Amino acid sequence: MRTRRRKERDEIGRLGIERSRLDIRDLFREASVSVLSNPGRSLVTVVGTILGAAAFVASLGLGSTLNQQVSTAFDLRRATEVLVEPEDQATTDGWLQDAAIGRLTRLNGVVAAGRRVSLGERPMRRMIDLRQSSTGVPVIGADPSALQVMAPRLTVGRSFGEFHERHATPVVMLSTTVARQLGIHRTGVAVFVADQAHTVVGIFHDVERRPEAMAAAIVPYSAAERLDQSGASQPAKRDVLVETSPGAAQLIGRQAPLALRPEAPAELRAVAPPDPRTLRQEIEGSTTRTTLLISGVALLMGTISIGNAATSGVAQRTGEIGLRRAVGARRRHIFGQLVLETTVLGGLGGAVGALLGVLTISIVSVVNGWTPAVEIRSALFACTASTIAGLLAGLVPAARAARIPPVQALQR
Amino acid sequence: MLVLRDVSRTYQDGQPVHALRATNLRVEQGDYISITGPSGSGKSTLLNLVGLLDVPTAGSYLIGGMETADCGPATLGAIRGQLFGFVFQAFHLLPGRTAVENVELGMLYGPHTRRQRRSMATEALERMGLSHRMHADPRQLSGGEKQRVAIARAVAARPRVLFCDEPTGNLDTTNTAAVLAVLRQLNQDGLTLIVVTHDSQVASEARRRLRVTDGVVDET
Repeated sequence: MRTRRRKERDEIGRLGIERSRLDIRDLFREASVSVLSNPGRSLVTVVGTILGAAAFVASLGLGSTLNQQVSTAFDLRRATEVLVEPEDQATTDGWLQDAAIGRLTRLNGVVAAGRRVSLGERPMRRMIDLRQSSTGVPVIGADPSALQVMAPRLTVGRSFGEFHERHATPVVMLSTTVARQLGIHRTGVAVFVADQAHTVVGIFHDVERRPEAMAAAIVPYSAAERLDQSGASQPAKRDVLVETSPGAAQLIGRQAPLALRPEAPAELRAVAPPDPRTLRQEIEGSTTRTTLLISGVALLMGTISIGNAATSGVAQRTGEIGLRRAVGARRRHIFGQLVLETTVLGGLGGAVGALLGVLTISIVSVVNGWTPAVEIRSALFACTASTIAGLLAGLVPAARAARIPPVQALQR
Repeated sequence: MLVLRDVSRTYQDGQPVHALRATNLRVEQGDYISITGPSGSGKSTLLNLVGLLDVPTAGSYLIGGMETADCGPATLGAIRGQLFGFVFQAFHLLPGRTAVENVELGMLYGPHTRRQRRSMATEALERMGLSHRMHADPRQLSGGEKQRVAIARAVAARPRVLFCDEPTGNLDTTNTAAVLAVLRQLNQDGLTLIVVTHDSQVASEARRRLRVTDGVVDET
């Protein structure tokens, strides 16, 4: 190798000339001018990479955005709710006493906790028309704390409070569905619940927790107890509804039976939602695997498309390659320039694709009212992967181009 | 300066084709040589061999007393780039680059810096009477202008020998005359010219005339 080099140097020296060379800055300049002077050809070469990178960034970003959205919704509602029920409804009511509820409320992570009793369907009708047949409506008794946890959203009126609870005041809150059935549009009117007059204090159109209340009438817990004693076709079901801090539901679910009934915690059953973090990780895991697979295929297609386009580009450029060889370019100069061109194109395609991906995430998020989650790492990865794809895709066509004899290239 | 001894070129494409038979030729500095002959007679083969764009299958070709068969590809590339210049019928100008950038490309692989290349390219275009077209895209140039840009690219680095393959093949009478005037001037300035042509007017400009028939070269 060294001998050949020395021989070449001697030969070139005898002729008073210098070795052909290409400055690295000239190489970069030539590659970028070639890429930019034929935007049509460059675009065709790189379109697969742009789409691949855009798909990669958009699918990962949209996956994260959706996960975040699912988690947010989940955390806000279900993940902060625990329901404690007796294994057997005949269990004595000691666990529903103020002292027991007080122990539960003092647990770290409990925001509010209150008693509820579901009476099942009770006949209900308007006061003014005694001939009107009654309608069966599920009645839920809830103390003010349980009502706070359910958090009904009021259309008109107000919620009942401690005063009503203490005095077992016959007041009722109706969901819009029940109110419509009874023909009630305002508060202050009376309805008969199991033939006992109750004043409507509020009408609600939604609840934050326990959606079964959407088809029910809610009365104070103490008032419900009185209704229960007045003869019932179905046995009443009692439970304690707890609102927890975000992330504390699982823990409170384990501690609540002990707090409410220390002597026999096994007689109570706490229903807590699945751990949101585990759920989120499961969702993220599955979506990430899917999106990575799709994106990997997209990037592979991008590489193949650069390779194909570069091969046909070399065919179109044989005249230019021949000219470069005629004016002194060595094979390595041709090879280096063509590989650099596909590398630059790959990088540019990756950058444009990443931008398109970010744009897609932003538009989809804005349209749906989500918070966009764009991972800079995925955009950087897309650019890097596309650059490497460009480099790899350029190797074979560049090697082919470098082998074209100048005389053959100039005949085209 | 350039010496061909029994140089021949045979293409092995099934049946061997003798594109050029044993040829002896001596080219001196300042020569103006035309090569004529029918299509397929071997005149372009002769030009390509002398211009080191192709290699002979037999014989010996010496440049400045040095045997080219012993030279490596880097040496041959350096000779093509610095001692020789080429002008083609198809111009081979790169679209999307200005005239001056196309001329600079002829010196890209040589020893000159970017600034020197720009200055030499500008000077060459001025000599071709194209100072007003420096920044034009080749697609905006007439055929004659394109060929003069191509000649500027070939001579900007001041080579010793200029090879022209049908330099007026795509030009009308007026542009042919302009290109011939440029070539004449370059030869008067000491440049060796070897021109392959079909055109008898172009051939008549040369002081030495070679005629190739069926791969055999005769000097008339």
